[in-house]
Amino acid sequence: MDLYLPIAEVSVNAPLLVALGCLVGFMSGMFGIGGGFLMAPVLVFMGVPPAVAVASQANHVVASSASSVIAYSRMGSVDWRMGGVMAAGGVLGAVFGVEVFRVLRLLGQADLVVALSYFLFLGVIGALMLVESLQAVVRRRRGEAAKRRRVRHPRWLYAWPLRLRFPRSRLYISVIPPFALGAFAGVLSAIMGVGGGFILVPAMIYMLRMRASVVVGTSLFQIIVTTGVTTILQAGRNQTVDILLSGLLLFGGVLGAQLGARASTRFRPDSLRAIMALIVLLVGLQMGLGLFVPPADPFAFAPGPPR
Amino acid sequence: MTLLALPPPDTAAVSAALTETRVEVTSGFRGARIVLYGAVFNPSRRPSDVVVVVRGPERPIRLVRKVRVAGVWLNSRPVVFEGAPGFYMAASSRPLSQIAGFGVLRRSAIGVDHLRIEAPQEQRTITSYGVRDVVVSRLGADYLDWRRAVIRLMEGNDLYRVDPQGVRYVDRGLFRAEVDLPTEAPIGRYETEVWLFQDGKPVAARFRPLTVEKVGIERTLYEFAHGLPWLYGFACVLLALASGWVASVLFRRS
Repeated sequence: MDLYLPIAEVSVNAPLLVALGCLVGFMSGMFGIGGGFLMAPVLVFMGVPPAVAVASQANHVVASSASSVIAYSRMGSVDWRMGGVMAAGGVLGAVFGVEVFRVLRLLGQADLVVALSYFLFLGVIGALMLVESLQAVVRRRRGEAAKRRRVRHPRWLYAWPLRLRFPRSRLYISVIPPFALGAFAGVLSAIMGVGGGFILVPAMIYMLRMRASVVVGTSLFQIIVTTGVTTILQAGRNQTVDILLSGLLLFGGVLGAQLGARASTRFRPDSLRAIMALIVLLVGLQMGLGLFVPPADPFAFAPGPPR
Repeated sequence: MTLLALPPPDTAAVSAALTETRVEVTSGFRGARIVLYGAVFNPSRRPSDVVVVVRGPERPIRLVRKVRVAGVWLNSRPVVFEGAPGFYMAASSRPLSQIAGFGVLRRSAIGVDHLRIEAPQEQRTITSYGVRDVVVSRLGADYLDWRRAVIRLMEGNDLYRVDPQGVRYVDRGLFRAEVDLPTEAPIGRYETEVWLFQDGKPVAARFRPLTVEKVGIERTLYEFAHGLPWLYGFACVLLALASGWVASVLFRRS
């Protein structure tokens, strides 16, 4: 069944989009990532203009994250205070990022920056996470105790002013590092069209050293706020949000997210991280290697408005 | 008083009509095929040729060229081309180059090679050696490559087409041509031109408008998104939050 999208101005296969939304939603609920980094390349492959794909999937991320956050909050695993601080940074970052993206599109360099960001961030984070989680899996198999962290309170994290208690995360730290982290994820959200979960989840575990059980729910809460702001900014500034496209995606997405949040309790966290790391790494490599392949046609239409 | 024997009117004429003058883009839109019928009145018996041209609404095109820098393929600075129709079709009964000469085709912009596609920001007029208004293109010798790329990419998307067998005679003097609009065809006002050529010169022409427009829910959503963009954005986010909430409620019950 084909459907004509009013903003994207292309005809797409509706059941296929629902299935895609469901698959990405499942991963979102399972790993605490928005899944945008997986969806954008698939949508573009299906013929949706990249600008519309990025903006509309941000709205899909809002829906599937909302669906999973509610599921996680029932289990008591959302740190609202930490999520709120990060979301405040995320809003600031998103506003800044949407403007940067506009300039990049006008310069015709948006493709390059997007591909490089995917390659750099997904590649590095995927590789680091894969190594760490495989080590953890191996240790568990051998029956060794988890390695104690060397420093509980690293100076660079605890030397900042404005300290605040985060009881759910079992932290007493300055609000500046989580705010900065949220802002960084917000910029990426606008430029890469993603929620930023693949940055937030590892950063919250390895840098902020939050309690592992609240990381996924808190990251999703921050993602809702950031992608919600991104959607409104993209609709208001660029008119690139296709409500029909995001409607199809989120219909599948909310179902998938619920299933994913349930399935996540059946796996061990280190195995989950290893699978997620592998997916992140593969997508990053695939996007990055495209830069080295000689193009079939040296000319291409530049995305973005001809203004 | 003698009745002057008037010579038969020597002027040839052409008439044409489209099976549809309005194409509605609904949620099930997958492109459209419109048939153009026409008749040639040719009392002089001189051989004549019919050329059917369909032009979509003009829109600027941004083009980049991939250049290799240190092993990585990068985009060049984008070049904006203006005057390019969003859809273009030229159908005839034999190749355009056999019907009329270069200058005639160029003047009426018939055939993709004769479209007035230009990159005004890349050109400036200067006075050199006392000759005024020399057009200098900063794209230099590559200019033709760029222009050809515009046409090649548009042809790749089925938006530009030249069909030297596109006009078919179904009966004496009666011809038909098919206009295939792809799903990506731009929304707006199209112009259909039917040219009659004799001895390499246009002797008659007919113009028929064609409108492609969104209707129903497609139109409502499009106008909402462009008329009240901020409110539309809020509505999208609210819809997303609500559907996330509904899903979690439904799943808790089950």
